[in-house]
Amino acid sequence: MLNQILLVPIFLPMGLACAAILAGRRSAAARDGVACAAGIAAFAACALLLGGVAGGAEFTLAIPGVCGRGLSFKADGFRALYACIAAFMWMMTTAFAREYLGHESHRSRYYFFTLLTCGATIGVFLSNDFFTAFVFFEVMSFTSYVMVVQEESPAALRAGETYIAVAVLGGMVMLMGLFLLDARLGTLDFDALTAAAAALPDKTPLYLPGALILFGFGAKAGMFPLHIWLPKAHPVAPAPASALLSGILTKAGVFGVLVLTGRVFLHDAAWGNVILCLGTVTMVLGAVLAVFSVDLKRTLACSSMSQIGFILVGVGMQGLLGAGHALAVWGTGLHMVNHSLLKLVLFLCAGAVYMNCRTLDLNKLRGWGRGKPLLAVCFLLGALGLAGVPLGSGYISKTLLHEAIVEYIELAAQTGAPVGLYHAVEWLFLFSGGLTAAYMTKLFVAIFIEKPNTPAAGPKRSYMRWPSALAIAIPAFTLPVMGLAPDAVMGRMARLMQGFMNGSDPEHAVAWFSLTNLRGAAISLAIGAAVYLLFIRTVLMRQDADGIKRYVDCWPKWLDLEELIYRPVIEKLLPFAGALVCRVLDNLTEWTLRLLRLTLLRPRPISPRNEADFAPGDFTPHVRRSYTLQRIFGSVSYSLLLFGLGFCAAMGYLIVILLTK
Amino acid sequence: MGYLLLLPILFPFAAASALALPALKTAQNRRRFVVAALALEFGFAILCACTETGTLPVLPLGGELCVTFALDGLGRIFSLLVVCMWLLSGLFAQEYMAGEEHLGRYYAFLFLSEGALMALCCAANYLTMYLGFELMTLFSLPLALHTQSDAARRGGCKYLFYSVFGACLGLLGFYTVHAYGSSTAFTPGGTLDPARLAGHEGFVAAAAFLAVLGFGAKAGLFPLHAWLPAAHPEAPAGASALLSGVITKAGVLCVIRVIYYQFGAAFLRGTWVQYAWLALALVTVFLGSMLACKEKAFKKRLAYSTVSQVAYIFFGLTLLQPIALTGAVLHVVVHSAIKNGLFFTAGAVILKTGRTDVRALRGVGKAMPFTMGCFTVLSLGLVGIPPLGGFVSKWLLAEGSLKSGVPVFGWLGPVVLLVSALLTAGYLFSITITAFLPGKDFDAADAPHREPGPFITVPLAVLTALTVLTGLCPGLLTGPVAALAAALC
Repeated sequence: MLNQILLVPIFLPMGLACAAILAGRRSAAARDGVACAAGIAAFAACALLLGGVAGGAEFTLAIPGVCGRGLSFKADGFRALYACIAAFMWMMTTAFAREYLGHESHRSRYYFFTLLTCGATIGVFLSNDFFTAFVFFEVMSFTSYVMVVQEESPAALRAGETYIAVAVLGGMVMLMGLFLLDARLGTLDFDALTAAAAALPDKTPLYLPGALILFGFGAKAGMFPLHIWLPKAHPVAPAPASALLSGILTKAGVFGVLVLTGRVFLHDAAWGNVILCLGTVTMVLGAVLAVFSVDLKRTLACSSMSQIGFILVGVGMQGLLGAGHALAVWGTGLHMVNHSLLKLVLFLCAGAVYMNCRTLDLNKLRGWGRGKPLLAVCFLLGALGLAGVPLGSGYISKTLLHEAIVEYIELAAQTGAPVGLYHAVEWLFLFSGGLTAAYMTKLFVAIFIEKPNTPAAGPKRSYMRWPSALAIAIPAFTLPVMGLAPDAVMGRMARLMQGFMNGSDPEHAVAWFSLTNLRGAAISLAIGAAVYLLFIRTVLMRQDADGIKRYVDCWPKWLDLEELIYRPVIEKLLPFAGALVCRVLDNLTEWTLRLLRLTLLRPRPISPRNEADFAPGDFTPHVRRSYTLQRIFGSVSYSLLLFGLGFCAAMGYLIVILLTK
Repeated sequence: MGYLLLLPILFPFAAASALALPALKTAQNRRRFVVAALALEFGFAILCACTETGTLPVLPLGGELCVTFALDGLGRIFSLLVVCMWLLSGLFAQEYMAGEEHLGRYYAFLFLSEGALMALCCAANYLTMYLGFELMTLFSLPLALHTQSDAARRGGCKYLFYSVFGACLGLLGFYTVHAYGSSTAFTPGGTLDPARLAGHEGFVAAAAFLAVLGFGAKAGLFPLHAWLPAAHPEAPAGASALLSGVITKAGVLCVIRVIYYQFGAAFLRGTWVQYAWLALALVTVFLGSMLACKEKAFKKRLAYSTVSQVAYIFFGLTLLQPIALTGAVLHVVVHSAIKNGLFFTAGAVILKTGRTDVRALRGVGKAMPFTMGCFTVLSLGLVGIPPLGGFVSKWLLAEGSLKSGVPVFGWLGPVVLLVSALLTAGYLFSITITAFLPGKDFDAADAPHREPGPFITVPLAVLTALTVLTGLCPGLLTGPVAALAAALC
């Protein structure tokens, strides 16, 4: 096969990024055209790859020598599919950005960095060793920083600070993990990792590198406790960038976690437990934060965090279930795909709202969406999918994940292992699913159903142009197709993806709409309805003076991991302690010399002299010495210097004398 | 062909003398002459590097002592680095120093120190290297003193004291090698004579320790680093770049010669000496980065950064492991290119806006997008972000460290390197971010376009390209160096 195709979706967008910035100097339209062309070309190349892979081909390519170790790429089912999704998302968001950014400044900068990020992200997804993945991961982290701070508002700059700090820290910790993994396994190649790790009789030495690499990828995925950047950065970025950050960049983090789980720690229960715990906390915390939020994009961002938690729960179950982990593998992969597409739709809808209202506050947006059927339907499709309502796409993947948990509980019960914890995980899973339904209802009701505070003024005008509408509608209408024909679409996708996670077909065909599965969804939705009616509508809404019920943010301001712990420690405590030690060390030599001058080597007191005085050996008799110069010439340094020079001369002389004899 | 080697060593001295000619007193003529001479010197160095010149004894001093020149693989790398950076700094000075006084003196000492460095690179034995080292100190001192301010004088005195003190320690190493070794000529694997050595291992090891510490003073190694942040920032930017980017590397070259060509890696491996060096290197790595974070003066921040980065190299050298050694030599080139570039940008900012404090750089990126763009790429390279040069050298250093089997330092080293990389990110990215993202309330009218001319932008572009190139295809350099390193360890 034509392996060079692998390079096209990676380097073509990067090349066109430069072309876009050059074109931007001439005309904005040309630049937008180049950017869209890059998205389309990348998608075409990825679709070619996916077509080839689906037909049984495999693409591999190694470029030796680049960056020392050389890069290596491979497209198998999962990677080709994800590259394809990434390119699709770029294509859609770039089309949407034309209108969204229409009146903003620095548009060339946005396109330049977003296209670089596109190439780098696809590079991560197509990589075939940790080295290549790391190279592109770092490029992606830095180029996406500019997408976060695009608007240059104080909030954006502060969120950007957090983002880049987490990215740099995550990158460095991951690098340490890679050093250790390479030293202990002797390879970073994805194909060789499984065998190399399996050959180790004891996996204990792998846990440290594994944890460090997990730190790096987890930081990007938004995993607790490194999620801090996510709820801050996603809302402040322009909407198309938020869609990318949330839909696909987090998945680059998950990609790394999948490699660790499916290759290095294949069927490792201890590893599975750790991921499961972190995933559960992320899932619940994100959902709770989303319920409290009164900001449209912040809710969606917290929701992203929660959904990543769902995915990580699936990853954890892969480790726990051992060889029979097909359901967990399918659930994980499909939920990733779902979440990417769902967040694309939802964030672009939020973008459509923002470019008209210039606000994201639910109280100000109230009822804005009434009479905008296209937007309402698209948003609703996204919300239904995310909430896991049957016939939506999210239902399929959440059912698989739920079944995986239930299956493990049954397995564990058979062997007599304690299952209480896993029952708790199952209930938290359903509870978070309920919260998802609750906060999506909150958003939908607030924007599309409730009556506006003030009736809309002015003549009715078009709120978005057709390319933007298309960018929202295409992914939105793909979702029900996926949900309605699970076997034809999602089952096929899952079969493509399972090889990457060392999975296999499930033992028996999945009955998507069986009674037990529907029951899980029903419990979840019931919890959601209860939370919405009994908590959101009562506790989180207060009547103000005008008699209008307003959404209030009840989340305590101080309860923020970043402001409470991370920033004080990193900005104050560590620099203070570090600098104190370093200042002492820095001055050690000078202080020692000074101490010597005060004790053993006291200089002759320098008496103030007239300019006329001339002492032999004084080289600067006519210059009145400054205090500084007095200190230099009276210092032990100066004496030592003279001594050193004399010493050198004497020794040189001695050598010559001794050796000429 | 042997005498060819004298060409790049003596030509700078001739050029320095020629600057005294009355015809070269006008700015126009001097500019042409300086650029032409530096380019010519660049050509001579390439010519020498491409030909097998052999060993050239020049000045017998009696006995077996003789000033001797030879150009081996390591010398080739360092000499090319020197002439390349000198040429770029000379070009940079054409705009940066234009209209200043005492230019003749500045260029003369620029040439003289280049000659001394070439002698150091071509040295074939310890004595020649020592002479080159002392000459380099003396000839580069006037560059540090050029502005004649009080701070410069204080820094210059510190520079002189630390360097000469270091050289004295180096001399101790020379006596030791002469007494306990079979020869003082540089021989891969060392020249210690087992028969003479027997029973004196402790003393010889201590002498090796002190000698390396002494030459390390030039490279800013703790505890003899204090001169560096005092002297480097006081020089004109072009000279700061050379002091930080290249002359510190002369210290590194001397250390490589002493460790690998005189005492021998085998003799030192696993001794307290190696562990002490490693500990000092790691302390320096952390210290430099931490203080750079706290430093508010732009050039001084870069000087502290040099302290830290050169200690990376020192760490790689003292691991006594071929991969780490390869990484260290690569880092010599990478750091040289990056630090020169960073000082050039600092100089350009000072020249065009007069701002020397990093807190005053808000919005500078809008006024000087190209300069600060290069600054950004160079700082990414210094932090070690792929696919730039610093990443590859850091990877090799860490890989070598973990493979070296040295207890504790084997894993502690990479940890400290990465912590330092984090701090590096802290002190460099903050500059880039405030320069390019001043925030919405920043008035673009405050930042009229003030990009410097081609004498500054071209060297900057070259250095930035070099940073990218060393990242994308490090094999051009690491290939030959790895072969060399395998023979040395």
